[in-house]
Amino acid sequence: MIELFNLKKRYHDGTYALKGITIRLPKRVTAVIGRNGAGKTTMIRILSTQLEPTSGTATVGGYDILNDTDAIRAHTSSIPQEASPIGFLTPIEHIRIYLLARGMSFKEANAEGSRALKDLELWNAKDTPTDVLSGGMKRKLFVAMALAANADTVFLDEPTTGLDPLSRFEVWAAIKELNGNVILTTHYMDEAQQLADEVVLVDQGKVLERGSVGSLLERFKGKVRVESSDPKPKARMQYKVGTTRISYVKKSMINEFISMGCTVRPITLDDLFIVHGVDLQEEGEGGEGEW
Amino acid sequence: MNIKFIASMTYSYGISAIARGPSYLIASLTLPLSLLFMVSILSGGALIVYAIIGGFIALLAANSLSSAGDAAFWRIQLRMQDLFVTTRITRIDYMLALTLSYFVGSLPGIALYIVIGLIYHIFTFETFIVLGCLMALVTIATSSISFIVAGMVKHVRNIWGIASILSVVMTLLPPTFYPYTELPPAALYALSISPVTPAAILAQNAFGLVPFNITLVYEMVAILLLETIVFFSLARHFTVWREK
Repeated sequence: MIELFNLKKRYHDGTYALKGITIRLPKRVTAVIGRNGAGKTTMIRILSTQLEPTSGTATVGGYDILNDTDAIRAHTSSIPQEASPIGFLTPIEHIRIYLLARGMSFKEANAEGSRALKDLELWNAKDTPTDVLSGGMKRKLFVAMALAANADTVFLDEPTTGLDPLSRFEVWAAIKELNGNVILTTHYMDEAQQLADEVVLVDQGKVLERGSVGSLLERFKGKVRVESSDPKPKARMQYKVGTTRISYVKKSMINEFISMGCTVRPITLDDLFIVHGVDLQEEGEGGEGEW
Repeated sequence: MNIKFIASMTYSYGISAIARGPSYLIASLTLPLSLLFMVSILSGGALIVYAIIGGFIALLAANSLSSAGDAAFWRIQLRMQDLFVTTRITRIDYMLALTLSYFVGSLPGIALYIVIGLIYHIFTFETFIVLGCLMALVTIATSSISFIVAGMVKHVRNIWGIASILSVVMTLLPPTFYPYTELPPAALYALSISPVTPAAILAQNAFGLVPFNITLVYEMVAILLLETIVFFSLARHFTVWREK
């Protein structure tokens, strides 16, 4: 169980990354979703004791992030966003060093590290310097480290960013194998849908919405998303994202919108952002499946 | 203190690194050996013993100072420090691991200098112990400076330049490759801001290269100990660990 109590973070340049979040995260796998700069990483870094909050506090497994950092570090593991391995060290060396830092014995570290590398199909590369591994394999190495740690709570900050689809599936499978609670941040809505028991939607340092994927998408029940770049059906469109106009209509009306040249798409978690008025084009980055 | 972590990191990042990337080893030896050669030629061999003894200190100090690059790179670029912050190790464990990794990287150079020193018959048991103590203190002090600086930089690119400047200012300007008696007293004390200066002065006195100056020796022992304690304390408190 993780609880946040009016958690705020203001950086030295005056930017508020978190604007007083109070929330309980009781589920086994929670996905924190949001655009870049929404506050996801700040939240994870504070909860995993990498970063101190400006005010407010939080508890992880009953331990306070301000006063019980040693206990939290003993019971959690955290994989930072955009972490890269040390070039000429091998995967087995990375895992061994990490697990020893967590307090394991050499024997345990070797056994758990080997098991995690095998589970993530990295065993054949265990003695290869990581600077010659693919980006996907490097990312999987960090997930293997989290897997090997056997922590009660695992924080994964964008664990599959940059991975090819097959590697993503492998990482998803590994995350499902994790024993403890998992808090992950992601840009990928399909990832949240695949993995999370609960989704927390954040934007500009605030929680916009939370719930199971099913409950969050309840409002769209029986509807589809229709999109058009053509201004003609403008009057019937509710939202504008860049040059694209979007509306949510009953499935019985699909043919009518198709005849107007609209594209019909199934509902995903992306649509939560649209109905909350989050300007997806503002980000100016991201690609397929990415905000 | 997490000895297992420190030992594993030292083995992987120090010993294995030498085997996998010997160019680093050669690079770390290039400057001291070049200076040894130059000093030897320019002084007609008269100052070669200064350069051998100074080379020990300069090699260790330069290696320790260059660890600032990795400390900053691991924190800012690789985010590896974030990974370790959330484990059970302390910043002292982390600093020691990186420092010892670099120290191990200095060992082949030290061995080479010992061979040269033996050829020139400069060692006695006592001077060897004194040199060992001085090298230990210089390593602690300069590594601490590395971590303080690495924690202050915002962009990785800056650290390479800063580390180079520090390396030159703190290892070449001090009287490592020449007699400290050539320096005016004011310059001697000004250069003592670098822990290498008192170490070099003490080494030159211990090895009998200059007339023994007991007052200066006491002063320099005090300065070196004080600098080691102060720089280590500053690193302990100001090295970025859990960020604010």
